[in-house]
Amino acid sequence: MDAPYAIEMVNITKRFPGIIANDNITLQLRRGEIHALLGENGAGKSTLMSVLFGLYQAEEGVIKKDGKEVKINNPNDANDLGIGMVHQHFKLVQCFTVLENIILGVESTKGGVLQMDEARAKVKALSEKYGLHVDPDAKIEDITVGMQQRTEILKMLFRDNEILIFDEPTAVLTPQEIEELMEIMNNLRAEGKSILFITHKLNEIKAVADRVTVLRRGKYIGTVDVATTSKEEMSRMMVGRDVNMVVDKEPAKPGDVILKVENMTVASKMHSNNAVKNVSFEVHKGEIVCIAGIDGNGQTEFVYGLTGMEPLVDGKITLCGKDITKDSIRQRSKLLSHIPEDRHKHGLVLDYPLEYNMVLQRYYQPEFTSGAGFLKRKEIREYSEKLEAAYDVRSGQGPITIARAMSGGNQQKAIIAREIDKDHQLLVAVQPTRGLDVGAIEGVHKNLIAERDNGRAVLLISLELEEVMNVPDRILVMYEGEIVGELDPKKTTVEELGLYMAGAKRNVDIDANTPEVEESEVIDTAAARKEEK
Amino acid sequence: MKDKKFSLKNPALQSILTSLLCIVLGLLIGYIVLLMINPAGAGTAIKTILLNFLSRSSQAAQMKALGNTLAKTAPLLMCALSICFCYKVGLFNIGAPGQYEAGACIGLYAALAWHLNWVICLILAGLAGAIVGAISGALKAYRNVNEVISGIMLNWIMLYLTNMILSGKKVKDPASPYTIKLMSGNKGALIPSAGLNALFANNKTVTLAIPLAILFAILIWMILAKTKFGYELKATGYNKEAAKYAGMKEKQNIIITLAIGGALAGIGASFLFLTGYQEWSTTQTSVPMMGFNGIAATFLGGLHPIGTIFASFFIQSITDGGALINKSVYPSQISDLISSIIIYLCGFVLFFKYALNTWISKRDKGGPNVNDVPVTNDDAKKEGGDK
Amino acid sequence: MVLLLQYTIIFASVLCLVALGGCFSEHSGVINLGLEGIMVMGALGGAVTMFLLPAGTSKIVIVLATTLFAILVGMLYSCLLAVACINFKADQTLIGTAMNLLATAAATVFVRAMNTSINPDNVSSSIQYIQPKKAFLKYIGNFEFNWFMIMAVVLLIASWFVLYKTKFGLRLMACGENPQAADSVGINVYKMRWAGVLISGFLGGLGGIVYITAGVSEWKFEMGVAGFGFLALAVMIFGQWKPTNIALAALLFGLFRALSNVYTGIPFLKALNLPSTVYNMLPYIISIIVLAFTSKNSRAPKAEGIPYDKGMR
Repeated sequence: MDAPYAIEMVNITKRFPGIIANDNITLQLRRGEIHALLGENGAGKSTLMSVLFGLYQAEEGVIKKDGKEVKINNPNDANDLGIGMVHQHFKLVQCFTVLENIILGVESTKGGVLQMDEARAKVKALSEKYGLHVDPDAKIEDITVGMQQRTEILKMLFRDNEILIFDEPTAVLTPQEIEELMEIMNNLRAEGKSILFITHKLNEIKAVADRVTVLRRGKYIGTVDVATTSKEEMSRMMVGRDVNMVVDKEPAKPGDVILKVENMTVASKMHSNNAVKNVSFEVHKGEIVCIAGIDGNGQTEFVYGLTGMEPLVDGKITLCGKDITKDSIRQRSKLLSHIPEDRHKHGLVLDYPLEYNMVLQRYYQPEFTSGAGFLKRKEIREYSEKLEAAYDVRSGQGPITIARAMSGGNQQKAIIAREIDKDHQLLVAVQPTRGLDVGAIEGVHKNLIAERDNGRAVLLISLELEEVMNVPDRILVMYEGEIVGELDPKKTTVEELGLYMAGAKRNVDIDANTPEVEESEVIDTAAARKEEK
Repeated sequence: MKDKKFSLKNPALQSILTSLLCIVLGLLIGYIVLLMINPAGAGTAIKTILLNFLSRSSQAAQMKALGNTLAKTAPLLMCALSICFCYKVGLFNIGAPGQYEAGACIGLYAALAWHLNWVICLILAGLAGAIVGAISGALKAYRNVNEVISGIMLNWIMLYLTNMILSGKKVKDPASPYTIKLMSGNKGALIPSAGLNALFANNKTVTLAIPLAILFAILIWMILAKTKFGYELKATGYNKEAAKYAGMKEKQNIIITLAIGGALAGIGASFLFLTGYQEWSTTQTSVPMMGFNGIAATFLGGLHPIGTIFASFFIQSITDGGALINKSVYPSQISDLISSIIIYLCGFVLFFKYALNTWISKRDKGGPNVNDVPVTNDDAKKEGGDK
Repeated sequence: MVLLLQYTIIFASVLCLVALGGCFSEHSGVINLGLEGIMVMGALGGAVTMFLLPAGTSKIVIVLATTLFAILVGMLYSCLLAVACINFKADQTLIGTAMNLLATAAATVFVRAMNTSINPDNVSSSIQYIQPKKAFLKYIGNFEFNWFMIMAVVLLIASWFVLYKTKFGLRLMACGENPQAADSVGINVYKMRWAGVLISGFLGGLGGIVYITAGVSEWKFEMGVAGFGFLALAVMIFGQWKPTNIALAALLFGLFRALSNVYTGIPFLKALNLPSTVYNMLPYIISIIVLAFTSKNSRAPKAEGIPYDKGMR
């Protein structure tokens, strides 16, 4: 019998303690189509894919391959059924070569010795066929994120997978790389592969997908044809209401200079070049300046240099008229608040209760520590309760909740509360909305604008194009450690921003002698050296 | 019923329960080993180990034996506190024996060669231990050397160095491999008993060292739980990066922590050698067990300074009990065997607690516990991704 | 000088074997701080075998049986690490330390019990193996050649081959670098880590018996193996987890260790008139210095020391 579907997940339900992650979800992937799976963070996309991959077992529902019911108990079963996946966080061994990564798990041997030549030939042939250009003998740690992704795709093709899943594949790519990926996906479809494309970006769905299935809060909302459905309709299905893409704000009234960065250069931990090169700019009181760029172009190191977590190689930082270049983190924190990029690594002591995390930047101040060095527990508790109420931080047991047991959104709210409530003139917010859902994102943006309107300077570092276009009053684009462009969000377009982010265009000349980067080079080196976590 | 449920969820009680489970399992395995060696006397032997001083016949002998055990518990407790304190800051201070050796070395040298008073000897011993600890700390903070490996290396280096220094003419008894007895060398360096010996059938080795060690335990607990300093150190231990982000000097904290740990172990050594309980043998070729037993006491004490007091007494008691068994049949190291099995089992404490909690929540079965709401799937993924 | 060479090579063999053991374990993602204990157990297994074999057993049988039992006991003992750290996700430092203490205590108890059961007055924790040890030796001029030296070289080459040229090695290293990646392509991370730990038990156990037969014919088990397992870890770090570099590092450390055995025979060193304890300390001091200079930019397997949890993807 010739069933129309390559894979079907019918009435899948998966519960976790306290949460129904997937509530009666049906997903049907036709042979030779690109099928998008759309939903916000926490909508249940990841759980559904984990069920398909045998990482979790669904309590209810069945999975069918070519119309026949199958049991998938672990990833091996999925592989055997010809299902492959490009994970959002690549599953690659950094110190192995591309080829080693591709063959890992399906190695062919002769007398116990690895046979690489045969595999190399097959990989080369596949590269040719689908336009996936990558050097099989390069080490993963030396190649760009785009090439790493191609390695992941080759991994699936090498295993002759028929059903390919892409989990938010565009998050780490430049607009140009995204276009190439779309091209590759079209090629794959043309060769008869069935593709499941997980995303929350409507433009991309419009560009390549045939049909789209929408999830919201663990529930199945519907499956529609992309060609006949508008973006606005899809968006409504995704969030359940009309989303206001434009952030509400008054025009900025910039005042005095708060932060002045001159010729800042910061070394890289990953390679011998400097990660931040000769960066200069100013941030004024009452404005939000955003540093935009693809992940890994020196933003992280720039923030480390600015906040004192890494020493500068060269340059000068002036904050409120005071030279802070040589100041310690603590000295800087008197004027500077910092919402860190990674809330688990830097922002919180996960094993401390919430109240201790609320005073992480202030515990030593007389308000919370007595002259003899004892903590004032009562004051800490009251302060924590105050902040929780003011910023709507929710947790199981209030101040004594261990931070680890809180949801990501509430963890982030706690950090924002702490950083905004303490004395400061400059707020550095690094990807403050990462991993949050739409409601929480709106709240964070309101906080940032309130900060601005309260006369603080705000420096936002963001990778999300929508955020970059809507929140700040000024955009600086960082590419390979340099500021390559200054843009007015009201006058620029996403396309233009993309060109700057990819290094194909620049309007700030740091060194007049630097030749313009050629466009062909740009594509391969863009997004180079994604920071290893 | 409701009360009982509530109390079983109490983390302190859970710690005590899991510790007891480790002890019971450790003793059980020890008993099986005894049975395998010789079934006839195994029951008596394990009883002797457990009862230790209580197995003596007269009450006076019992008190005297208890005094001996207490006298050795004091240094053990100090070593355990050293390890416990460092562990709270995320450091595994297996270098405690080396710091202990340094304390013994300088404490005895100050007493015998320089004829100093016990208080000063004690302080010098603490300083010596602190320096050795600080070396490990500095290597960790600035050179990324694992403190476990540098600690082990320093244990051996300090052993040989101590042997060398204490073989000096002024400090070593020419007739034996031991250092000169403090009674004859310098009475002023003996830690005073302050009348405590009267309680233990005039056991001269029962001194102020015992209450002092308990005071140290309380002090360490206060520092960790109540002070700004403890807040910083624990934050550093839980999350070094977050501590740095919050402007704490995380490298300095590592060094200070190991220095304090070293000081505790160093003072611990003088709590043994400045009581006249025993002398340093300058020909010894193995690192003293005291520091390693401290590891057992630390984990058995649930990583809590106060719990450590009881755990130290228990470990010392079974060690002394081991020395009382019939040596022509059973090796006295059976106690070391039991304590090392207990350490091994302490590695499973998290699992035991997890199993206990699973059991409790299964039994309760009611609505989902607010605490247990999992971090959302996306977050869990991220955590896995960045270590 | 021949003596120095001989001791250097035999100690280097020990360090190389044990460091390779550590290397396999760490490449699979498990830090093996229990190598010291594994050595003790291997030594025990080998020594007891030599002690129990009847006099007149042929040389080849002695060599094979001793080696086999040392390896077997070492592997069995390493299971303690594997169960606790792989299956129960226990703290690897704590378990390693417990294993070191446990090995010395258990070996002492065992040897004492064995000795007393043969002769009630014998409460020592020593085993003598003067006669059987000779089976391992062959004199080439003054040089005391030991079969273990050959075994070390063969195992060194085999280790290199296994790690870099086989499917197993590729998969093993993937588990130590990125277990999530290995799992996603259907490799059983737990199994590979078990394999890594068992191989470290194999090599560590063998290293143990080589160590106690190097230079002496009697071993007092109360002493353990004097921190040699940790010296081997230093060798492994200095060798950057690569078999060839480990071999070179082992030779260097072996030389310093050998000095303490033979310095009296070297006129120049004897003239220095340093106390013997200085030579005893030397290997440990060198290793601290070496670690201070090599640990900063180490190429340690990225996922080592982190228990792998299937749920955390």
